Amino acid sequence: MRIWQLRLVLRWFLLGLVVASCPGLAQTEDAQSHADIGIQFARAGDLVRAADELRKAVVLAPKNAEFLSTLGTVLAMDKKLEESTTTFRQALQLTPQDSIVRRYLAANLWQLHRYSEAKRELQIILRKHPDDAQARLLFGMVSENSGDYITAANMLSSVPKEVEKQPESIAALARSYYYLHDREKARATLQMLTSHASSVQSVLMGAQVADQAGDYEKAEQLLDSIGDSSDGENVRYRKATVQYHRGHFADCEQTLHPVFDRPGATAETYNLLGWCYHRLNKPKEATAAFEQAIALRPADESNYVDLIKVLEAHNFLRVGLDAAKRASDLFPNSAAIFNLKGSIESRLFQFTDAITSYKHSVQIQSTSSEGWLGLGRAQVSAGLILDATSTFTSAMQRFPNEMRLKVVYAEMLLKHADPSDRTASTQAEQLLKQAVANDATNPEAFFELGKVELDEGRLTDASQHLERAAKLLPQSSQVHYVLSRVYRRLNRTADAQRELETFQRLKRGRAPESQNDSLTDDAKPD
Amino acid sequence: MPRPGTIALIVFLMFAIALRKTESTPATASASNEIFTDITEQAGITWQQFGGESPDRFLIETMGGGVGFFDFDNDGLLDIFFVNGGETPHGKSPIPLSNALYRNLGDGRFENVAAKAGLDKLNFYGMGVAAADFDNDGYQDLYTTGYPASALYHNNRDGTFTDVTDKAGVKNAGKWAAGAAWFDYDRDGFLDLIITNYAQFSFEDPKKCELNRVRAYCVQTAYTGLPLTLYHNNGDGTFSDVSRRSGVDKFTGRGLGVVAVDVNDDGWPDLFIARDASPNLLLINKHDGTFEDIAQEAEVAYDQNGIAKAGMGVDAGDVNGDGIPDFVVTNFNDQYHSLFLGSKSLPFSDRTSASHLANLTRSFVGWGTKFLDYDNDGNLDVMLINGHINQEIESTRVDVKYKEPPLLLRNKGSGVFDDMRELAGATFQRSYLGRSLAIGDFDNDGDADAVFTTLNGRPVLLRNNSGQDNSWVGFSLQGTVSNRDAIGAKITVTSSGRTLTRWIVGGGSYLASQDKRVLVGLGSNAGPVDADIRWPNGIVQHLSNLQLRRYHQIVEPAASSSSKKSQN
Repeated sequence: MRIWQLRLVLRWFLLGLVVASCPGLAQTEDAQSHADIGIQFARAGDLVRAADELRKAVVLAPKNAEFLSTLGTVLAMDKKLEESTTTFRQALQLTPQDSIVRRYLAANLWQLHRYSEAKRELQIILRKHPDDAQARLLFGMVSENSGDYITAANMLSSVPKEVEKQPESIAALARSYYYLHDREKARATLQMLTSHASSVQSVLMGAQVADQAGDYEKAEQLLDSIGDSSDGENVRYRKATVQYHRGHFADCEQTLHPVFDRPGATAETYNLLGWCYHRLNKPKEATAAFEQAIALRPADESNYVDLIKVLEAHNFLRVGLDAAKRASDLFPNSAAIFNLKGSIESRLFQFTDAITSYKHSVQIQSTSSEGWLGLGRAQVSAGLILDATSTFTSAMQRFPNEMRLKVVYAEMLLKHADPSDRTASTQAEQLLKQAVANDATNPEAFFELGKVELDEGRLTDASQHLERAAKLLPQSSQVHYVLSRVYRRLNRTADAQRELETFQRLKRGRAPESQNDSLTDDAKPD
Repeated sequence: MPRPGTIALIVFLMFAIALRKTESTPATASASNEIFTDITEQAGITWQQFGGESPDRFLIETMGGGVGFFDFDNDGLLDIFFVNGGETPHGKSPIPLSNALYRNLGDGRFENVAAKAGLDKLNFYGMGVAAADFDNDGYQDLYTTGYPASALYHNNRDGTFTDVTDKAGVKNAGKWAAGAAWFDYDRDGFLDLIITNYAQFSFEDPKKCELNRVRAYCVQTAYTGLPLTLYHNNGDGTFSDVSRRSGVDKFTGRGLGVVAVDVNDDGWPDLFIARDASPNLLLINKHDGTFEDIAQEAEVAYDQNGIAKAGMGVDAGDVNGDGIPDFVVTNFNDQYHSLFLGSKSLPFSDRTSASHLANLTRSFVGWGTKFLDYDNDGNLDVMLINGHINQEIESTRVDVKYKEPPLLLRNKGSGVFDDMRELAGATFQRSYLGRSLAIGDFDNDGDADAVFTTLNGRPVLLRNNSGQDNSWVGFSLQGTVSNRDAIGAKITVTSSGRTLTRWIVGGGSYLASQDKRVLVGLGSNAGPVDADIRWPNGIVQHLSNLQLRRYHQIVEPAASSSSKKSQN
């Protein structure tokens, strides 16, 4: 639970205590004494014993809504949200008009990410008490979390005093405005954070909101307003993150470099610095930064993942494989690491090792298509066509919407089938047509389909699909080459010549051993 | 009195009846049950190639092993020359190294006379060989390629050779030369020499690469390619380096196999050059001493995706009976050995898949390759020699092996092939580190025999047992106006409505030199056989009623002639 949420709950708890102490409520003597003891334990901070006592009170007086609501509150403070929710529902069955308890319940549901249920409870409150500021505030927060930014903005902006009290609600309102493309209002909202009581943390939060919304200018302005701060590390990190997202990698490096090898630098800082160096094409420096992050937080697998990705992107395959092996020993249940290991092994032509890695990944996380895709590819590369067929068939059933599986399987069918076997090429073409119909952004699908059509003499179709592939992957020499072949057969001599020249230019600009047109998938830090 | 033609016909029919008839189905072996028999041992061939394998893993260690069929002593029997590799800084031989010249003794046996002939010494790391009569004196000379030089040996006509490299000016110094082909590019009657240079290389610069953590041979792209070399034969025993003047020096890449043939049927020889991870070249002779590369327009430079394959060996022949040369090119595993069907209009047709070559060659690394009509049914078949370069390949792949079997693929007609492994012979069931391949009829029985080399091993001499089951006609041409070897001649044979086209090509295969005679299989045909010969210098000669099952010695006439019978 975040601090501000705890404060909210405590406030309601105290309210509850006040109600509980009101005279005129009927309870048995034993139940009351358990309740009193429970409240004392709660005040002392012993929430477990507090809950035990209050449970006893409830057992003895099951129809006492106050005991139930107090128990529910204590349970919520102890993060036993499911039990707390059940308890609050029981209290509301007894006193359905109790809007405070209903609000507690909504808060629980919100924390449990059960947004639609939370909204229902809040709507009940607001139908009876439309001006309930707390309910409006909470409704706004729930709406923002569930992506209903219009309602969120309306609700939150209707209770400005409540919103101002919490930086989290200011942030939620600003986010809603950003999503509604109202940058002015978003900026004005974030500006409130600069005068907030917990100023530095609030402003950092605001800068993050602006950064995530792509309003880098506002993010930097907020960060610059902080000035000297005891939380300089966090400020520096946030500033560098914004610079990274803006594409100002040199600035990012300059911002973070002073912390290198200094005490106080965090693993996140080194991780971000590593990405900046990567973007600046400084792989050795990037490696050193990631290694620092790893040293500071050896149990965090993400730093290993990022290190291996960057090493592979820079074709340091041998070093990358060493890092992947080290990481796989430390994180034997990380599908991401085994996928990366398999990818590097494939690039080193160690296909049998790659198969082992990808099999492990699939065992760990069979619900992710990445492992299946890598496994199928590696099996094809190793010549295990029957195994690959089985892998792709299973994977396509599991992931019917993953078009990459269809494309790679189609490629395999086209490459490995006997040319006299028409069923394989027909099946491949069907798969490719499904892929292009369902994913207009997959260049390989358009490319392979275009080649099939070229071989079949369907030149007009071939040119359309290959032109699409060229738009999606303009830096692919192969696409331009095949397109030139199609144009030549269509007697579009000038177009053929143009594509051939593009092909030759792209080929000249490539490393000679690079024959793979796939783009590296660079992960960006948040 | 019967006319001579009738007598000839009766004699022919007697022969035909005496022979076993075959249908146009895969020819079965005669005496033994295999198409080819390995007779290396009984032939007395004991020489071994030495590649200089070393921990340094120089790529050159994996690439040598040239072989040539040629008749050095003009006794009518094909002899065999083997080019040795050599030592490397840390790859030493326990025994003295030499080339080998095996003289054909005529009874299925051969004798190594390299030392006597003056051809035994290794003056450089050896690669390939190209045999031809460069001075038109009637005796075959030899050009051997290698690093860091190449050499020309003039046949002294007495069983010996003299190194005339320096005098001739064909040293190709400093270069790693691979393939070489003799051809008369300017049609002046003297054979010129094209050399495919491979890559910048030095024994001082061992490149370090690994496969599965073990030191391995680097991929070819770790080496920078070189331009071609073209030497013009001046006709006086000397050559001029015309690489720049001809423009071939701008074709820089990792050149390997080369074949010279008239691609566009204009009577001038062109060149197909297979290159290793560099685009292949199709150099069209512009008749003015220069060449134009049309490989990209012909779509033979790359595979269908625009990727330059590892082209090693290449040969030219008409596999689909349209009278236009087609090309086979050997490549690396997963790339398939390519088949391009020539065409009067561009582009050529890539029939690698449709011909079944893709399926049959996917796992193999190919080197020497040659079209041959092994069963004399009139359709050109193909033999391909395979073998990997990295021992460690089997630790990373299930389907690719270090040693690989050779392939004999039978043309079913129109350029679709079947694998003849089951019938071809025990050799095709074994695996080798195969490299160069030469085809020739060493026993003069009218069918194509073969010899291939193996890396760091013995060569394999294969006797064809099956070609005599069908009719055939052979040509041995002698140029007078044209170069004496008649390299560049085009022979068109017609019989019983069928037309078969063959060429005397320059080069062909990988690092190899071929029998310059032309064998034309005719299947079960017993009808009259006519032939048109277009000589390299353009003279056209017509021959009619050629006798079957014999070689015809044809001398180039002074001018075009028609309806002339062949001379005995």
